[in-house]
Amino acid sequence: MADKKRYGFVIDISRCIDCRACQVACSVENSVPLNHTRIWIHDQGVQGTFPELSRTFVPYNCMHCEHPPCIEVCVSGATYKDPNNGLVLVDQEACIGCGFCVEACPYEARYLDEKRGVVDKCNGCIQRVEIGQKPACVATCLGGSRLFGDLNDPGSDASIALKNARSVFRLDVEGKNIDTDPNIYFVNAPKSLTSLVTSDAFKQQGKAVPRAPEYTISEEGWKKVLVPAIAAGIGASFLVQATYFTKQLIEGEKEFDE
Amino acid sequence: MSSHKNISIVERRRLREKKYKKHNLANILTHWFNVAMWALLLPTGIAIISSPRLGLSPLWMQELFRNMFGGAANLIKFHYTLGFIWGFVLIFNILVGFRKYFVPFAVKRMLLDKDDIQWLMIKPIQMLGFMKDKELPPQDAYNAGQKLYMYVVILGTLGIMVSGPVMALKTLFPPILKQIAQPLHWLSVFAIVAGVIIHVYMGAIFPEEKEAFFSMFGGNVSAWYARAHHEKWYWEKVQEEMDWEEEVGRQIQESSESKKPSTHSQPSL
Repeated sequence: MADKKRYGFVIDISRCIDCRACQVACSVENSVPLNHTRIWIHDQGVQGTFPELSRTFVPYNCMHCEHPPCIEVCVSGATYKDPNNGLVLVDQEACIGCGFCVEACPYEARYLDEKRGVVDKCNGCIQRVEIGQKPACVATCLGGSRLFGDLNDPGSDASIALKNARSVFRLDVEGKNIDTDPNIYFVNAPKSLTSLVTSDAFKQQGKAVPRAPEYTISEEGWKKVLVPAIAAGIGASFLVQATYFTKQLIEGEKEFDE
Repeated sequence: MSSHKNISIVERRRLREKKYKKHNLANILTHWFNVAMWALLLPTGIAIISSPRLGLSPLWMQELFRNMFGGAANLIKFHYTLGFIWGFVLIFNILVGFRKYFVPFAVKRMLLDKDDIQWLMIKPIQMLGFMKDKELPPQDAYNAGQKLYMYVVILGTLGIMVSGPVMALKTLFPPILKQIAQPLHWLSVFAIVAGVIIHVYMGAIFPEEKEAFFSMFGGNVSAWYARAHHEKWYWEKVQEEMDWEEEVGRQIQESSESKKPSTHSQPSL
């Protein structure tokens, strides 16, 4: 058992019946505005040919990644990964609601709360977990599809389900500078399900996750154009100043020659 | 106008003793208020920018300031509060002194003329060590380099004052503006900082400009300094002085003429 907690979700796909009670429970618990939701249930649609049909529902929310792309772009440090429990949280007092992180998240797990001018997302119901309760979505899941627990603790619900699983897959995003390493483990999925991207129906909704992280023009321009330009400017200015100062130190000052 | 290098030793002594007023109290106070605010706002601002992708501020600095203020939210609130005070006071000062200081300053001191452009062509080459014998054209109260820096400061200050509130008043503005405001704020600050490095060196350390430094406390520079560095402004001052002498001379004459009848009428009473 490791010292630090690593909270994560284990989602048993074979047990989800698409009742969406978890969405309601989450919105009530966390006062989520009516036009938004922090968690989703993705419908893969009917698959196969008659009479061998199947339909799969994939509940998901913030993956609480080990290496989250959202933290990489947060300018004020409002989004952070809690060092004690591994949850990715938003300090909404520090958040200015610019939405850099909304674009960067490969799972579309964040939304902008227009009224409060901040970004909001799943916080793993940390307010419940800290007093020993399960997150609202997990507590309300009647099929027992959603499980939550410390993945570093082999005795937790999540770890036991993960150990007994027939199959496990994650929506990992790996690329040039990115490896999200998500902390949602999907278990007991049908073999056809390897990624949410495979579904054509899902793509048509314009919501194929995971996607590559996106960076806005202002963020990209800041990083690639402004930073080098200003670095050159400050460098040149400092160099001139340093040259003259060195010259002054070497030559000394004469009182009557100003 | 001949070069100040030909001035005789007696004249130099006289010019050294003589003082001209360069900065008035309002400008001095505003300048040092600005310095104090920048000294507080710049480090807290740098400490806020924590994005690892941009990598603009060192981790120790982020942690130091977050610990000092008790978390990111408090640090940001401090920066906002101070920023609004800074903006308010500067705008207030400009509005109060708009007709007396700002308009004359903008009209008489800021525009670049032919001499300034020539100065800008010669000076950078001289700084690289060439054309040392070529004489610089006479300069106004602020030389061409100072004028250019002034434009950077004014544009940068406007950029900061526009982009800052957009980020601070987060419920009023749409996300796209907040996204643009961040690099704009940062660019404005560091364009000014690039100039400030030179400004502080020239103002406080560079030996030839020592009088400029003390003029930011007392407001006065010697006539010799004015003659050597800001020749056009020096002649302007001399002209003002001559006008004043003429005016006072006329007033004395007038008052002595108007007194004459009264002295005549006195004995008849």
